[in-house]
Amino acid sequence: MSETTPIIEMQNIKKNFGGVQALQGVDLVLHHNEVLGLVGDNAAGKSTLMKILSGAYIPDEGEIFIEGKKAHIANPWNARQQGIEMVYQDLALADNLDVAANVFMGREAASVKLGPISIMDEHYMGQETQRLLNRLKIDISSVRLKVESLSGGQRQAVAIARATAFNNKVTIMDEPTAALSVAAIDKVLDLVRELKAQGSSIIIISHRLEDIYKVSDRMMVLRHGRKVCDTPVAGNIDDFRERVVAYIVGARDDFAEGVGKQQ
Amino acid sequence: MSTKRFKTSFMKDVSKTLRQNIRDWGMYIALLTIMAIFTITTKGVFISSRNIGNLIDQTGYIAVLAVGMTLVIVIRDIDLSVGFLAGFLGAVAAISMVSWHLPVYASIPVVLGLGVLAGLLTGFLVAQMKIPAFVATLAGWLGYRGALQLATMSRGTIIIPSDAFNAIGNGYIPDIPGIGILPGVHKLTLILGVVAIALFIISAINNRRKMRAYDSKVLAMHLFIIELVFVSALVGAITWVLAGYRGLSWTGVVVLIVVIFYNFVMSRTVLGRHIYAVGGNPEAAELSGISVKKVTYVVFASMGLLAALSGILFASRFKSATTTAGTLFELDAIAAAFVGGASPSGGVGKVTGSIVGAFVMMSLTSGMNLMGIDISYQYIVKALVLAGAVIFDIAARNRARE
Repeated sequence: MSETTPIIEMQNIKKNFGGVQALQGVDLVLHHNEVLGLVGDNAAGKSTLMKILSGAYIPDEGEIFIEGKKAHIANPWNARQQGIEMVYQDLALADNLDVAANVFMGREAASVKLGPISIMDEHYMGQETQRLLNRLKIDISSVRLKVESLSGGQRQAVAIARATAFNNKVTIMDEPTAALSVAAIDKVLDLVRELKAQGSSIIIISHRLEDIYKVSDRMMVLRHGRKVCDTPVAGNIDDFRERVVAYIVGARDDFAEGVGKQQ
Repeated sequence: MSTKRFKTSFMKDVSKTLRQNIRDWGMYIALLTIMAIFTITTKGVFISSRNIGNLIDQTGYIAVLAVGMTLVIVIRDIDLSVGFLAGFLGAVAAISMVSWHLPVYASIPVVLGLGVLAGLLTGFLVAQMKIPAFVATLAGWLGYRGALQLATMSRGTIIIPSDAFNAIGNGYIPDIPGIGILPGVHKLTLILGVVAIALFIISAINNRRKMRAYDSKVLAMHLFIIELVFVSALVGAITWVLAGYRGLSWTGVVVLIVVIFYNFVMSRTVLGRHIYAVGGNPEAAELSGISVKKVTYVVFASMGLLAALSGILFASRFKSATTTAGTLFELDAIAAAFVGGASPSGGVGKVTGSIVGAFVMMSLTSGMNLMGIDISYQYIVKALVLAGAVIFDIAARNRARE
């Protein structure tokens, strides 16, 4: 495996729902330590594509490679075991549990095992969670706070921290800044930058072009289940937005597969 | 001046902690208040050793059901079948001893095993067939009612001849003979109480020391001491009252074991954490690799086991199996769980809370009986207490969320 082998490569992914062609042969490449923005109108296929990568859907056709090796992703748990973590839009946190319990949900550390009963190592989990929050500069006063008492931004931060807690390869974020206040959005974007600085590879789905512009290295546009644009994020925001919006709404459609891969 | 300032900040700490943990502490305060009121209105009869001993034995068979029901409610389900299941399995226990001539030590495991099977059946309907628990267990309610009537049809009431079996619901732990001090006081009960207090204090101090390593928000020292004193005093008082009559009953022992075991599982083990996770957000739990199906099976199997235990306690207490045994137990258990702080929307509920809830309801019955209050008023009072507890709970939760 060389540094130039993409961490994720999806080739010619097709998915039909009944008669609807949700994805008509989409390619996606994500490099090591890259932040990729994935945009498109509603029903463009971006969520479907990410659900395939995270194991929620099985593609009708196409192949997925993780670090150059062909991967079979059968279900979400399977995807997680292969290092692909998705931060769901509806957060996938349990409100009734505290921050540490949410971070370790499904992966509780056990100190003693007595047959089917494993005693949790609460202190280890608490300390590790505190360390994780410190490392990602997430401002939450205690790991013992219940998630229901946190603000929207803090909850999003916990969901992201949880996804990145166990040395995963790729983090997929589905609309991480939706329904947040301006201040909270800035904090989430800071968190994305922090993760990138620490070496993570990230895919962000968002409707908010400014947010993606601020943190992404590259942007990919889907329209009607096809990739219509794949471009590095560069230049001035207004020009960039104008160009991308043209692809999103279909005013421009001059993208050639071969060229996209060169960029 | 400085003592005054200390006092006000101290009171502020106390009231702040009480407010933050009002849902946990509210029930204990409510139970103590109810007991105090009845003690006054019955001129001390309520708090007498004899009455408290009876109260524990009467609560036992509902209390164990309430423990199982807590888990069921935590995973957002309900189990209506457990009352008649308990009645039916109590009858099976009686028949196994009377007709099949099984000894007690064989009969009890058989009945407990049947309880687990019945629970697994409910689990199959709910987890595998995706039938809503309300409907699946309503079918169980009908079915076990019929089974109970079939089992007791030939002779009506089955008298249980085994003294060992009947001791579970009526007997007391033996005392240590030959100790001269404190005549008339049950020494073994007293010793157990002291040991329990010591263990509680040691584990609380230990836990607090470890938690300080990573959590800045541990309880302030003086509040921690108040908590220790409060709980120790409560355990001590109950121990003293029980030791004054015939000591701890076997029913009390069973309830204690069930509560300690389930409280441990729910608060300290991975399984307990998974049960709360499934209750809090089933989709999130599933995505995290927790099998909601497996958790559902385990919870209903445990409910079946405890229903069997409840049936044994009830049959033992009345030394017989009757055609109506178990009637409405399920609703008493559900009420106890809700009074004890379980949330109908799932994810929230403690085993200890449900036990306190069960004792609140049974104290109301016992106290009002002693006062000679008509049964019709008793139901209305209990209705108000149940509704009040849930309203209080919702209000406390909304405030905590702000």
